[in-house]
Amino acid sequence: MDTFETLRDIVADKFERDPATITPEATLEELEIDSLDTFDIIFSAEEKFGIKVPNDQVEIKTVQDVVTLIDRLRTEQGKA
Amino acid sequence: MTVRRVAITGMGIVSPLGNTAHDFFTNLMAGKSGIRHLQTDFVDRLDTKIAAQADFDPLQHFSKHKANSLDRVSQFALYAAGQAITDARLDLSQEDKSRIGIYLGTGMGGAASVEEGYIRLYRDGAERLKPFTVLMAMNNAAASAIALEYGLTGSNLTFSTACSSSSVSIGEAFQQVRHGYADVMLAGGAEALLTFGTIKAWEALRALASEDPADPGASCKPFAGNRTGLVLGEGAAIVVLEDMERAIARGATIHAELTGYGSGNDSSHITQPSPEGQARAIQAALHCAGLAPQDIGYINAHGTATPLNDPAETAAIKLVFGEHAPNIPVSSTKSMHGHLMGATAAVEFVACVMALKHQALPPTINLHQPDPKCDLDYIPNVGRPNTAVKHVMSNSFAFGGTSGVLIASKP
Repeated sequence: MDTFETLRDIVADKFERDPATITPEATLEELEIDSLDTFDIIFSAEEKFGIKVPNDQVEIKTVQDVVTLIDRLRTEQGKA
Repeated sequence: MTVRRVAITGMGIVSPLGNTAHDFFTNLMAGKSGIRHLQTDFVDRLDTKIAAQADFDPLQHFSKHKANSLDRVSQFALYAAGQAITDARLDLSQEDKSRIGIYLGTGMGGAASVEEGYIRLYRDGAERLKPFTVLMAMNNAAASAIALEYGLTGSNLTFSTACSSSSVSIGEAFQQVRHGYADVMLAGGAEALLTFGTIKAWEALRALASEDPADPGASCKPFAGNRTGLVLGEGAAIVVLEDMERAIARGATIHAELTGYGSGNDSSHITQPSPEGQARAIQAALHCAGLAPQDIGYINAHGTATPLNDPAETAAIKLVFGEHAPNIPVSSTKSMHGHLMGATAAVEFVACVMALKHQALPPTINLHQPDPKCDLDYIPNVGRPNTAVKHVMSNSFAFGGTSGVLIASKP
C-alpha cells in the first residue's frame, strides 16, 4: 500500500477534491486543511495503516510531512 | 420600563411533516401523520418500532466534509436557520452582526455522536474516537454552527429543559429583543435522538405509545381514552425575532407578533405534571402579553398523549381559563408530528404562527374515543380553516418540571 497514494485518496474523499491537486509538496494550508481537519486525516490514516500516532507529534506543514510520519510509524510499529 | 414589540419575521423547519413551514402546516391541516415504522438497522431490537423521522438527506444541503463534521442535530439546525434567514429577507452583509444572537433548545444535543463513540469504545474495543466527537456531541454545537456559518456574534446560548427547551429558548430570545439587548434573534430548537440507546431509555420509562395495530401512523392519540403514550420524533425549527419598529422600517413581512412568555418550575415531581405549576406559567404568559384568558383563540397543547399529561394539562387550562375553557379550541399537533423533545416547542410554535397567518386551526388526530377527564374542545380529527383568531398560545411542559408558554398575536 503506497503511503502517498493512500493519503491522497483519503484527503480527496474527505474534502471532495481533485486528487491531482494533492501533491507531496502541497502545504495543508494551501489545501485549506486546518489543524482539526489534520487530526481527522491522521485518524483515518491510523485506521487505514493500522498504526497509532502519538499525541505529541512533530509539526506538519506539507502532505509529504504526513507521509514521512506515517512511513516512520509503519516501520516502528511493524505495520509496513 | 418601556419595552420593544417583537416581530416574527422568519421561519425555518425540518420536521416529520415536511421541511418548509408551508408543507408542514399544509400537512397538519390535512390531518396527515408523520409517524411510521422507523427506518433503521436496529429496529428489530426495539419493542416500539414507530417514530416520527424527518426526511432529510444532509448531502443535499452540505458538502461531504461539512456533513461529516456536524451531528444530525446540528445539520437540522443549520438548515432550518438558513431557511429562517432567507424567509426574513435578512441581508446579513448590511447588518451589525453583534446585534444578532442565537438561542436554541435541545434535550440530547449530539446524541448520535455520543452513541457512535460508545459503540466504538465499548463494543468494538477501539483505542481512539473520531477527532470531531466532542465538537459534534456538545450541546451547544448546533447554535455554534449557525453562528460560525453566518458570522453572528451576538449572545449565543443553548437551553436544555427537556421537552420545554425550545419554548424557553424562544421566550428568552424574546426578552433579549424586548429589552434591547439584541435587535434580531434566531431562536428555536433542534433534536435528533432517534438512536438505539435513546429509544431504549424511553422504552424503559414506559412513556412510549404502543403501535396502533391497524395503522402505525395513528399510534399517538392525545386526549383520547385509548391513548398509550408519546411517539418520539426528530427535527428542528427556528424563528427570526426582530424589533418590531426595525422590521416595519425595512419593510419585512411580519408573520406575527410574539407578545407573551411565561416560565417556571412545577417543583413537585420529576415526571408527574402539576396543573398548578402549569397554570402559573400560563398566567405569567398572559400577564406578559397584557391579555385576558378569553382573548386567546387557540391553544397548541403540550398534549403528549401520556396517561398523566393530558388530564393535568386539561386541569391547568381550566384553572386559568375558568368558564371560558370549553370555548377555546385546543389541539395537540404531536398526534401528527410526534414529540420532538428539545425541538418540539419550536415546531409547535411554527404551527401557531402559521395558524395565525392562515386563520386556520390544526386538529388533534386519532381522537375517536373520549376520556371523561379530558373534556375540552380538542379540534378532534378535522382541522378548522377560516377561523378568526387574534391570539394563540403554545404550551410546553417537561420532565424536570420547567414550563414554557408562548403567546403569538396577529400583527
